Amino acid sequence: MDLRKTVRLSMLLSLSIVLSLIESMIPIINGIIPGIKLGLANAIIILVLYLYGFKDAFFISITRVFLIGIIRTGLFNIIFFFSLSGALLSIIFMAFSKRFIKLSIVGVSIIGSVMHSIGQIIIAIIYLDTINIIYYLPYLFILSIPTGIIIGLIAKKMLNAKIIN
Amino acid sequence: MHKNDMILIVIILIIALIIFIVPKINSNQGNKIANVYYENKLIKTIDLSSNLKQEYNIKGYNGNIVIETKDNMIRVKTENSPLHLCSKQGWVENSHEVIVCLPNRIIIKIEDNEEMYDAVVR
Amino acid sequence: MKQIKTLFLLILLIILVGCSNKVTTYNNNYFYMDTYINVKIYSNNKNLVIKAFKEINNIYQEYHQLSDRYQSYDNLINLYYINHNLDINKEIIINEKLYDMIKYSIDFYHKSNGLLNIALGNVIDVWKQYREEGIGIPTEKELMESGSIDIDNIILSDKAIMKKNNIKIDLGAIAKGYATEKVGQYLESIGLNQYIINAGGNVKVGSHYQDDNYTIGVEDPNDTTEIYQVIKGNNMVVVTSGGYERFYEYKGQKYHHIIDPNTLFPPQYMQAVTVICDNSAYGDALSTILFLMPIETGINYINNLDNVEAVWYGLDNQIYYSEGFDKYA
Repeated sequence: MDLRKTVRLSMLLSLSIVLSLIESMIPIINGIIPGIKLGLANAIIILVLYLYGFKDAFFISITRVFLIGIIRTGLFNIIFFFSLSGALLSIIFMAFSKRFIKLSIVGVSIIGSVMHSIGQIIIAIIYLDTINIIYYLPYLFILSIPTGIIIGLIAKKMLNAKIIN
Repeated sequence: MHKNDMILIVIILIIALIIFIVPKINSNQGNKIANVYYENKLIKTIDLSSNLKQEYNIKGYNGNIVIETKDNMIRVKTENSPLHLCSKQGWVENSHEVIVCLPNRIIIKIEDNEEMYDAVVR
Repeated sequence: MKQIKTLFLLILLIILVGCSNKVTTYNNNYFYMDTYINVKIYSNNKNLVIKAFKEINNIYQEYHQLSDRYQSYDNLINLYYINHNLDINKEIIINEKLYDMIKYSIDFYHKSNGLLNIALGNVIDVWKQYREEGIGIPTEKELMESGSIDIDNIILSDKAIMKKNNIKIDLGAIAKGYATEKVGQYLESIGLNQYIINAGGNVKVGSHYQDDNYTIGVEDPNDTTEIYQVIKGNNMVVVTSGGYERFYEYKGQKYHHIIDPNTLFPPQYMQAVTVICDNSAYGDALSTILFLMPIETGINYINNLDNVEAVWYGLDNQIYYSEGFDKYA
């Protein structure tokens, strides 16, 4: 593999981990509404998706979840599965829509954001054995849209900067 | 921004709206009960139709939580948890709505009272 | 874009329709006349309901005190006073509510060939004593010599009452139903038409909160965890006599607290009877007299009445219906 690409990917991976960690330490955001996340790390994932394609983005995404698990949340507990499920659905659907649907990077980001929420709700429903958790979705969706837009714009900016690079 | 982006947003909003409305339509006007689960086991059933302002002390994983009911609604008043998410949820009254207190491992589900009879005579 | 707009409007419409049917259930409990009473009101007007619950408490409390044979209350001329403190042949003006209740009962005495007799106090007292002390059953002689049971010894005139001989009045057969009827009428008078009152076997329902029928289950006298009959309807009264009611067993026989004025003993015609009609006092009275006549006589009696139906639970564990009962099934 291209050494430069490997180095770049590692840096991006580290960056995404750092962003996740910083984000989880900002007390204000988490206190207001449950489940809200800026999802800054997703900007990195989207960047990798557009620069290097699905496989690499998938790899970065899943590795990030595991590393965060080791560093912070613990492996194979419920929080870990929330993240994993959200990340999986997010990257898969983002890649899918990037390929098959005419959307801008912002649109793809929104899909990523929305699928992330859906992934978490699915795990919550299974874990709590209650279908009624699904009624939290509207609130998550409403939040996913602006965060998706913001992350998408950030990714776009980074993409333009990187390409020029 | 692509035109499709807008359509996407609208679709998501519509889906959100539909999911939002469903419990409100299906809500049985009559009697509702709240089932309290600890670690997925039913530990208490509260009849919401009694309408007295009432408080219940339930043992959660992190300690005591206080549940309050009045006027056919229910909420978690106080609980021991890092983010206080479940007491922040406030009053809940529609059938199928849930209050989730993850750290305390407690879920409160609103359901229709399935008693078949409005009254029983002996 | 246009399709999305119409979809939006459609959903909005659904919300509006869904929300408009919302009504809240209010519930309150009382304990009067030895009975656990539950009142449910379906309404959107919380303040009115709170006010109603207070007034219902007043109504039941008043009828409870007036018809109380075993306790006196300050400044109140009630049954206890009339039975124990009022001199014979002395006229005294009484509370209009009490007067009306007694008058209603006396009228019904005449309409029922004496089967509903509120003058049975003396005989009832003997049975009460035997029941509470668990000493078996009284003899006919004892019962006959317990005192007068002649209804004509209660004389009503112009807001006043006078008693002759040592008559004792017992309103147990009618007080609950009478009070419940007043409560129902009160609720309807203030616009709260959607309610269920369940006064221990005396049920009165108003209109249904969802344009449907109220469903009332009648417990099987042999197994109170089972419902043997379902009654569905609106704006009606359902009253049961027998079954769960106060009785005691002696040598394998059940002795209920409803006494046959002719034999002075509790009847053994059936296990329970349930009456459906539109007035709670009437229902209470009817269920009492039906309990005092053989089932077949009762069936004929009910079939000759308009807007009244009944179901009997026989000693043979068979169920018997009046002719038009189907409309409530």
